[in-house]
Amino acid sequence: MRFQRIIIFIVLLIVLAGMLFPVYWMVKTSFSTEAGLVIQPKDLIPSGLTIKNYLDLWQWGPFPRYFLNSLLVAGLVTLGNMIFCLMVGYAFARREFLLKNLLFLSVIFVIMIPAHIIIVPLFLIIKWLGWYDTYPALIVPWMVTPLGVFLMRQYIQSLPRDLEDAARIDGAGDFKILFSIVMPLCRPALAVLGIQVFLTTWNSFLFPFILTSSQKMRTLPVALALYQGYQTIDWPHLLAASTVAALPVIVMFLFFQRQIIAGLTAGALKK
Amino acid sequence: MKHKTTILFLLPWILILLVFWLFPILYSLVLSFTKYSILSGEIKWIGISNYLELFKDPDFWTALKNTSFFVVGTIPFTTFFALILAVLVNQKIPLKGLFRAGFFIPSITSMVVVALIFTNLYAKDGYINFLFQLVGLPTPEKGWLLSEKTALLSIMAMDIWMSTGFYMLLFLAALQAIPEELYKVSDVFGASFWQKLWHVTLPHLRPMTLFVVLINTIKSFQIFVEIFVMTKGGPLNSTLTMVYLVYEQGFHKFRMGYASACAYVLFFIILIFSLIQLKLFRVGKAIGE
Repeated sequence: MRFQRIIIFIVLLIVLAGMLFPVYWMVKTSFSTEAGLVIQPKDLIPSGLTIKNYLDLWQWGPFPRYFLNSLLVAGLVTLGNMIFCLMVGYAFARREFLLKNLLFLSVIFVIMIPAHIIIVPLFLIIKWLGWYDTYPALIVPWMVTPLGVFLMRQYIQSLPRDLEDAARIDGAGDFKILFSIVMPLCRPALAVLGIQVFLTTWNSFLFPFILTSSQKMRTLPVALALYQGYQTIDWPHLLAASTVAALPVIVMFLFFQRQIIAGLTAGALKK
Repeated sequence: MKHKTTILFLLPWILILLVFWLFPILYSLVLSFTKYSILSGEIKWIGISNYLELFKDPDFWTALKNTSFFVVGTIPFTTFFALILAVLVNQKIPLKGLFRAGFFIPSITSMVVVALIFTNLYAKDGYINFLFQLVGLPTPEKGWLLSEKTALLSIMAMDIWMSTGFYMLLFLAALQAIPEELYKVSDVFGASFWQKLWHVTLPHLRPMTLFVVLINTIKSFQIFVEIFVMTKGGPLNSTLTMVYLVYEQGFHKFRMGYASACAYVLFFIILIFSLIQLKLFRVGKAIGE
């Protein structure tokens, strides 16, 4: 039994090394002094460490802008989802209205629609709206995600109604009840939703890529994907930029593991 | 009690649903029956010609073949590895949390970043070739992504590496839902590790396995980002996939109608799997609540 566990432990260690190696390779290359070398060194521990690649990035005109774009877009989309999914989820959980089942079916339907299918018509609509290559194109369509609505509805349904009823008797209005009574109770669900939406938006590539054209509107993933095509690849700088894109997510994951896992498995495991 | 605010609360969803989901889906269907060039702005009804042309287009069949190959070639491995890792991580071993987190990190990393790292690793003078040469294995002449025979396989291997951790977490959740008593009873009867695995664990994981295969199928049919970053569909169309074809037709050749027809074919393929999922799993039950 003991022997078996040691074997399992060793197997898992080897798998872990394999899983983390590519990420390690990225970070290692980004700190290396090998910029400009024709042949990539293969040593696992770099011969010299430097933060020069990162400093270069920061001074290279558009890079801070990419970073800020990513932050702004992901931040606003997250904020929008936390407010709107709360509102919509609350209506589904607590109110009766015409065509309620049909409207809820639409939420499930959109969860299941593969988003890639709508790249062409969405692009055309964004053009008509005059939003092409602007922030609204990157933000507005994703402000209310169906999975968020689903998540908030499930969570609010599980809350007792007493507090809301009491507040109503005290004369509180609907908005006051929602935002000062229900919202604080929903904090755990909002955290799961917020983190999940932030990560998805931060990492998203296809739509920001399709819906923008100018360099100043690019988010980090778009900039990274397009950078590659231009020149012979300068790996230390490109991987330094990649590290800047990947590290916030990994750090967030280490801090909010529980919420992130809950968010990612939400659609799958809801009872 | 009637509430005037109900409609106000629902409004954000109704607007997003109409403008950014329902309208695009229907508009795309209409477009698929037209010839629409975004450059001239001309739109012409041509019936099912796009679909007829699509089914005669060798690129379409190549894309369908590659995408199907990708789906069929990655999912058994991803599912198998995810299941094994979940069972192993679920044993009484030290550093459980570290393993769980470490295995999961690839799947939360941006696809673009992962694709860039692997472009580096797969390069002619990259680390994978270095390892292969170290143990004396043959390597492709031009680097893994530039050779027709290995490009798609290389991307598939990367995808398995990337997504295993996510599905492992789903399996872990299912494992933890198996009642502890079943194992205790098995212990009383002196069952071995393998007997417990075969007679208790695996039967209980069957619904989750089906679920994992389904959602991974739906996701994998939409492979695009890694193709765009790593190969642009090449070399010689060997990594051309369905969504990449939609992108290429719509945004390079500006044939919006043709691209829409292609998107709709993909939509119907995915719909089959979505309907199976809806019929079998809990998200579906939620509607009847």
